[in-house]
Amino acid sequence: MSNTKSLLTIKDLHASVEEKQIIKGLSLDIKPGEVHAIMGPNGAGKSTLGYVLSGRDGYHVESGSVTLNGDDLLAMETEERARAGLFLAFQYPVEIPGVSNLEFLKAAVDAQRQARGEDSITSADFLKEAKAACKQVNLPVSFLKRGVNEGFSGGEKKRNELMQMLLLKPKLCILDETDSGLDIDALQVVAEGVNSQRSDDRSFIVVTHYQRLLDYIKPDFVHVLSGGKIVKSGDASLALELEAQGYAWLQNEPAEDELEG
Amino acid sequence: MTEQIDKALAREYEAGFVSNVESETFMPGLDEDVIRRISAMKNEPEWMLEWRLSAFREWLEMDEPDWALVDYPKIDFQSISYYSAPKSMKDKPKSLDEVDPELLRTYEKLGIPLIEQQMLAGVAVDAVFDSVSVVTTFREKLEEAGVIFCSISEALHKYPDLVRKYIGSVVPKKDNYYAALNCAVFTDGSFVYIPKGTRCPMELSTYFRINEQNTGQFERTLIVADEGSHVSYLEGCTAPQRDENQLHAAVVELVALDNAEIKYSTVQNWYPGDENGKGGIYNFVTKRGICHTNAKISWTQVETGSSVTWKYPSCILKGDNSVGEFYSVALTRGRQQADTGTKMIHLGKNTKSTIISKGISAGRSNNSYRGLVRMNPGAQGARNYTQCDSLLIGDQCGAHTFPYVESRNPSAIVEHEATTSKVSDEQLFLCRQRGLDPEKAVSMIVNGFCKEVFKELPMEFAVEAGKLLEISLEGSVG
Amino acid sequence: MSEWLESAIARAQGINDWLAPKRANALDLLANSQWPTRKTEAWRYTPLRPVERTQAKVLTDEVNLKPIAIADLSAIELVFVNGKFDPSQLADMLPDGVSIALGRDLDSTKQTDALNAFSTIKPQRHLFGLVNDALAQDVVIVTVAEGVDIAQPIRISSLLSLGAESHTRVQVSLGAGARLTVIEDVQAQGDSLNTAFVEYNVAAKAHLEHYRFALQTGTNVAIGGSHFNLHDHAKMHSSIVAFGSDLSRLDTDIIHAGEYADAKLNAMYLLDNKELFDLHATVEHAMANGTTQENVRGIVADRARAVFNGRIHIHRDAQKTSAELNNRNLLMSDKAEINTKPELEIYADDVKCAHGATVAEIDKQALYYLETRGISRSKAQVMLNFGFINELIDLMPNAALAEWVRPIIRERFAQMDVE
Repeated sequence: MSNTKSLLTIKDLHASVEEKQIIKGLSLDIKPGEVHAIMGPNGAGKSTLGYVLSGRDGYHVESGSVTLNGDDLLAMETEERARAGLFLAFQYPVEIPGVSNLEFLKAAVDAQRQARGEDSITSADFLKEAKAACKQVNLPVSFLKRGVNEGFSGGEKKRNELMQMLLLKPKLCILDETDSGLDIDALQVVAEGVNSQRSDDRSFIVVTHYQRLLDYIKPDFVHVLSGGKIVKSGDASLALELEAQGYAWLQNEPAEDELEG
Repeated sequence: MTEQIDKALAREYEAGFVSNVESETFMPGLDEDVIRRISAMKNEPEWMLEWRLSAFREWLEMDEPDWALVDYPKIDFQSISYYSAPKSMKDKPKSLDEVDPELLRTYEKLGIPLIEQQMLAGVAVDAVFDSVSVVTTFREKLEEAGVIFCSISEALHKYPDLVRKYIGSVVPKKDNYYAALNCAVFTDGSFVYIPKGTRCPMELSTYFRINEQNTGQFERTLIVADEGSHVSYLEGCTAPQRDENQLHAAVVELVALDNAEIKYSTVQNWYPGDENGKGGIYNFVTKRGICHTNAKISWTQVETGSSVTWKYPSCILKGDNSVGEFYSVALTRGRQQADTGTKMIHLGKNTKSTIISKGISAGRSNNSYRGLVRMNPGAQGARNYTQCDSLLIGDQCGAHTFPYVESRNPSAIVEHEATTSKVSDEQLFLCRQRGLDPEKAVSMIVNGFCKEVFKELPMEFAVEAGKLLEISLEGSVG
Repeated sequence: MSEWLESAIARAQGINDWLAPKRANALDLLANSQWPTRKTEAWRYTPLRPVERTQAKVLTDEVNLKPIAIADLSAIELVFVNGKFDPSQLADMLPDGVSIALGRDLDSTKQTDALNAFSTIKPQRHLFGLVNDALAQDVVIVTVAEGVDIAQPIRISSLLSLGAESHTRVQVSLGAGARLTVIEDVQAQGDSLNTAFVEYNVAAKAHLEHYRFALQTGTNVAIGGSHFNLHDHAKMHSSIVAFGSDLSRLDTDIIHAGEYADAKLNAMYLLDNKELFDLHATVEHAMANGTTQENVRGIVADRARAVFNGRIHIHRDAQKTSAELNNRNLLMSDKAEINTKPELEIYADDVKCAHGATVAEIDKQALYYLETRGISRSKAQVMLNFGFINELIDLMPNAALAEWVRPIIRERFAQMDVE
């Protein structure tokens, strides 16, 4: 695998929100098919990374570079990044009243097909796929007709995110604290969904505070994010180490810029 | 984001073309002589002329209403021409073959084919061009069911008793300034009569087109649904893109006799003026229906056009157990101003009304809901539910709610709720993260916001209304 | 124009004192005013016949009127008797940081300040606001110094003898960070007419607790208002309790003139007989990040008429405002009438605004529930009605006032003609 071309390459990324530096020199290389877990204490910049990569307004890249499949990701609009295969599963998915899940998803699928020069999917075909996706994430089919996330419980929202991932078939999935607020049963459903999507040409960044999720989604690499940069990388065993020790030890290993400062 | 929204809103007005039709147009100006000439052109009975003249005299004594939250220069009623008709219409074409092809082309361009083979299945259309009705389709089929659907000018000749009995019975001559003006100078419009116990076999529709410059359009629609009958009626309207403002002052009267039901839908897309507020239609309209026992009137409107809108489709719930509904989407952008809403007057026992109003403001526009719910002493057990939601797009527009609630019956229940929101950054981000471009995202979110109203429209037009909104918002996001 | 207004103008023209420039301005505006009719939006449901017919006169005889005592309340008493300020009822010693004085007795600097602040809070004053500008002669100025917390409430009472006419005016100014409680009250003996306005300037971080009791009933005409100007981080909490009279009208105007100001208004009205009460509550959010919460509840019985107009206006710069208004009404008789008009006027997009209004009968299920427990229907109705209002009384921060007004309201319910 190590010889294949990288899917995502982040080099020395610095980014800020409301003039506050959050990401301070982050580098990361992800090859197709790999699952990378990013762990770290609250406020380490875990969610910020997902927003910066997906191009959310208000998140400013100050320096560094990011390429997706060799293309300059930072030069693209949010929707272009999505069409290029980047998918962010939100920690707190927003509600869009009156817009049905089905309508929303078909528009998204069509936009991405259009970007690839393909025809729109027929409604009948799409409905079939969507129903299958519902089944896979254990959501009643009636959820397709409901407004996007409208009145969904926390677990339903997470499963709805996963369903979108199944339908959009992205190349890079960023799961932002997908485990937060889930009970053990829901967690298993979500993990199974994710595992079913693992393949040689799809990579994952699994952002999480707890090791628990990684019992179900086995990462190839684990990175510890602290103070806006990766302070330690390793294999799956690092997550267990963190589970045992917590994040307190990080305070004894301050990030470089803090030393300089 | 606001910039992108504004950009998206700067769309083309697709119906803004001018048709090259030779017209006979009155010189601008308004006096009793003009009214006599209009009446003479239409060969009207004497009582109709007298009715017009008395309305005109009332109008002269009245003041232009100034309570709406709209601002426009004073209208010079002497600079307007009160009658304009294609010359080819002078000898009343007897069939479609005799209608000026340019007129047919105009409607075709607007998506309303009048040629028999291409007509929208299941929809009969009365096409009104400036001051006259050009053609009414599917007449024979309707006649078989006993339904009368023709221009009001024709109805005055063929069914004078019906017209005389009901015209002005719901909106009295001196009801308000513009209604009085309409009574004096109305030129054409549609007349519908559904006989007892009849369910109208198809949708009825009138399409209004203003073409000539400096003319006003003053149409008058009268729909009478006799006992136990049912009809669904739809009106649409467009006008060319011009720098001058044009006045449209219509009156619509609906009569729903015992157990009858009228569903009246409007997709209003008059020219809204340009981004700087130049040009556009002043849409000053009086629409009102009366419900007798167990009758129901449902108004649905999608208002995206006109530079100034002043319009309150209303229901007088006179009969016991009668029902009034008002579903409205009003979208304003650029410098449009809309002051629109409804009045629900509850007179009978156990009368019910529902008001759902969705206002969307963008650009530098102002959008107001103004409504009245009145429970009279006799309205035992009456109920009203009102919900007004406003959506603001950008920080240069305004969204306003002015509900009047008057109750004089202790057993009547009135509930009013209003909220305001915006297209949130989070919603937009979610859509874009899934690959939708910002324009599509906004139009989708706005459509979702309007869903409760769109679902009340007849199927064919729900799609059209959604599209209209989409075009209206095109280029409006960021 | 009405005879009454003409005579009011004529009387005002004869006055010459330190307020002359403001009075002249008010008279100018009055000269160009139309006498309100049913077509005048602000008076649409409130006919002015009681003003046109009033026989009330300015009385000059000395009378000895005292505000009613409220148990457990020791207030600084600021008393007007038939429109004249009665300094004898004011305590000799005021708490540190408080000053209370007639405007005409102030030194010239303070008088200039008071003059500049006069009538500046409410942008467009209605006819009787202007009349008050022109005819109020004993204008009292209350100031609280910066950072001072005054535990003792100030009670402003306007007392009227039978047949009296009075026009009173108070200006209250709270320095930055100051805290104060003010109670406004009008007590009239019948056939009277009064206008009573108080203007409050609440400086940054100051905190005002406010009460207005409009409990005069019968043949009195009472028109008044409280206007509040809130600066950065200022807070106000206002409670209004009103009965109706021949004509009783209050205008509450809250201006968010600074950011992060917070306003709460709880108002309740209970009308009986042929009473009329009209509350116009206006909130102007001129600056960002303000919050407003209004709860207005009314019960209208017999042949009474209630009018409520609740306007929330969010100006272009008032982003991140959160404003809410809730108006609930119970109609108790088929001759009674309620007219309510909650209004939103919004020019900023990033705001949370909502209003709701209901008019309904008493909750039939709750009534039934009480009846199944053996409570008579009329008793059950009184209980439920009282509960509806009591919820707002419970929110009064001042316990002494809540305990004082509760039995008064209970008594009113007992007398109310419920069907």
